[in-house]
Amino acid sequence: MRKTIHSLIFLFLFVAFAVSSVSTVSSVTGEQKSSVMITGYQVNPEVPMCNDLGTVTVTVKNMEPKSVNINEVQMLSQGIKVLSDSYFNPGSLGPGGALSLTFTIKATCPDGIYYPKVIVNGEGAQSIRYSFPVTVDSSPLTIGVKDVPEDIFRGERAKIELVVGNSRPNNVTAVKIVTEDKDVMPSEVFLGTLSADDSEVATFYFTPQVKGDCVLNFKLQFKNGDNYHYTDLSVPLNVTESKKRAELILTGIEVESMPGMNVYKITGDINNAGLEAANSVVMKVGDAEGIEAMQPYKAYFVGLLNADDFSSFELNVKVEGNETQVPLIIEYKDEDGILSSEHEYISIESTQKIVSTGELPVPMIAVVIVIAIVVIGMIAYSWKKR
Amino acid sequence: MIELLTNPDKFFEAKMGEEVSLKIPALIVLIIGIISGIGAYFMGGLTAEMLSGTLPPEAQGFLSFIPISTAITAVIVSFIIWVVFAAIFFGISYTFKGEGKFKRTLEFVGYGYIPMIISGIIGAIFIYYIVSTAHIPVVTDPAKMAGAFEPLMKSPMMQLSYAISILFMLWSANIWVFGLKHARNLTTKNALIAVAIPVAAYVLWTIYQMGVM
Repeated sequence: MRKTIHSLIFLFLFVAFAVSSVSTVSSVTGEQKSSVMITGYQVNPEVPMCNDLGTVTVTVKNMEPKSVNINEVQMLSQGIKVLSDSYFNPGSLGPGGALSLTFTIKATCPDGIYYPKVIVNGEGAQSIRYSFPVTVDSSPLTIGVKDVPEDIFRGERAKIELVVGNSRPNNVTAVKIVTEDKDVMPSEVFLGTLSADDSEVATFYFTPQVKGDCVLNFKLQFKNGDNYHYTDLSVPLNVTESKKRAELILTGIEVESMPGMNVYKITGDINNAGLEAANSVVMKVGDAEGIEAMQPYKAYFVGLLNADDFSSFELNVKVEGNETQVPLIIEYKDEDGILSSEHEYISIESTQKIVSTGELPVPMIAVVIVIAIVVIGMIAYSWKKR
Repeated sequence: MIELLTNPDKFFEAKMGEEVSLKIPALIVLIIGIISGIGAYFMGGLTAEMLSGTLPPEAQGFLSFIPISTAITAVIVSFIIWVVFAAIFFGISYTFKGEGKFKRTLEFVGYGYIPMIISGIIGAIFIYYIVSTAHIPVVTDPAKMAGAFEPLMKSPMMQLSYAISILFMLWSANIWVFGLKHARNLTTKNALIAVAIPVAAYVLWTIYQMGVM
């Protein structure tokens, strides 16, 4: 009987404890309804490339009708390097209130999909862990030659078209192509934003000044987020002489000395032996030590010189020292207005002597004749008088 | 003096009655020397400009002496040529058994220089004209000076100047014939020969310089 009584007392106590425990748990569960959650995230750049710096912005929202104090928000990742610190006590979220927090990240290699975690600890609220995907893709933009003339001629403008393609899954910005070649115009083409799987064409004009093999170097530059990336393109070309372009040659060159110290007058004909006209032909004395162009013909404007046509010219130059070569520059424009220039050298070696004008004034000849008559007359007269 | 030009035979015949005096002949030669010196001054200036490239900057001042020294030399050479011509005439006339003092020959040869005053003036004008219109190169090698001058010496203006000097030389020679005739008591024929030989040599040399021969 006593055993039975003890059993009943133990059972009572157990039931009472159990009821008490259930009541306590019910009370605590009622307080844990204050809860927060991650309602969104944003990665910038959307798809970073290897070693790109970027940001992740997460939005924390209070889902309960009462305020929740946030103790800590931190971001953890094994694949993505988180550069910024955790947020401690970022503040209290009112009922339905939201908070955006930004973390700086650095995309690591290799390419792939990484899952960083955001952990939010709130006072009197559940701790939450939220993972989201970040894709790292290092595919660069592609640049290639879309169109280039088969034949490129010296002094003639050639149109070169380059195409830029975006094979990346996200947009890139500030896309531009730059070249440092002085014979290429323009030196830079700005394309701006290039959407994913889109392409743009950039046009350059190349006017080579020398013939032979040459390589044009272009640099493609773009931004993925705030990160600059570059891609180089080399275009090998072969420049030849045009079969039709104006071909200016000098003939009948004469070098005459002029009164004064080492001043020469260079005259001759300039001929167009090509099949195209040369516009705005100007002849100048080139720069060289000891060579100085002189007035009145420091330069000579020939103007339009049609095919198989010629024109005379005159230049004045002062030569000092032992210079025996005078450089001449012939500038002209083609029908597109492209300026071309040719260089010629005129030898003045044969005139390194005293040269008088060589002209005999007619009055002086008359005076001499008169003198001769007078002298002969005087001699004859003296013999007659003796 | 006009008679010297128009009738030198009579002029020298009259002079034979006077004492020998070299004052006027020396004055005539001096005038010719000064005129020649002016022409030489121009040519000296030309030479100095050409040589300006051969000397260092510190020696450029030396170039300014070239025209002056050339002019002075021309004056001195005029007197030397006077004496040389007189000596040659005297020597050749000696073969024709000429009689008379050298001083008298020197005096009469000096008078014979008068036409050359005119040719000297004309020559100086010609040289000035040539130099002022010539292209003057800077010669870096003094050995090439002669080559640089060659075109100038063969220019039409210079050749005209030579032709004029030959004409007046013939006029002077005509006077010298009569001067030598009286100074050395020669026949006109012998005096003509005595004068013609050196004068002909001089004329031929001048023509050779002209590049005609």
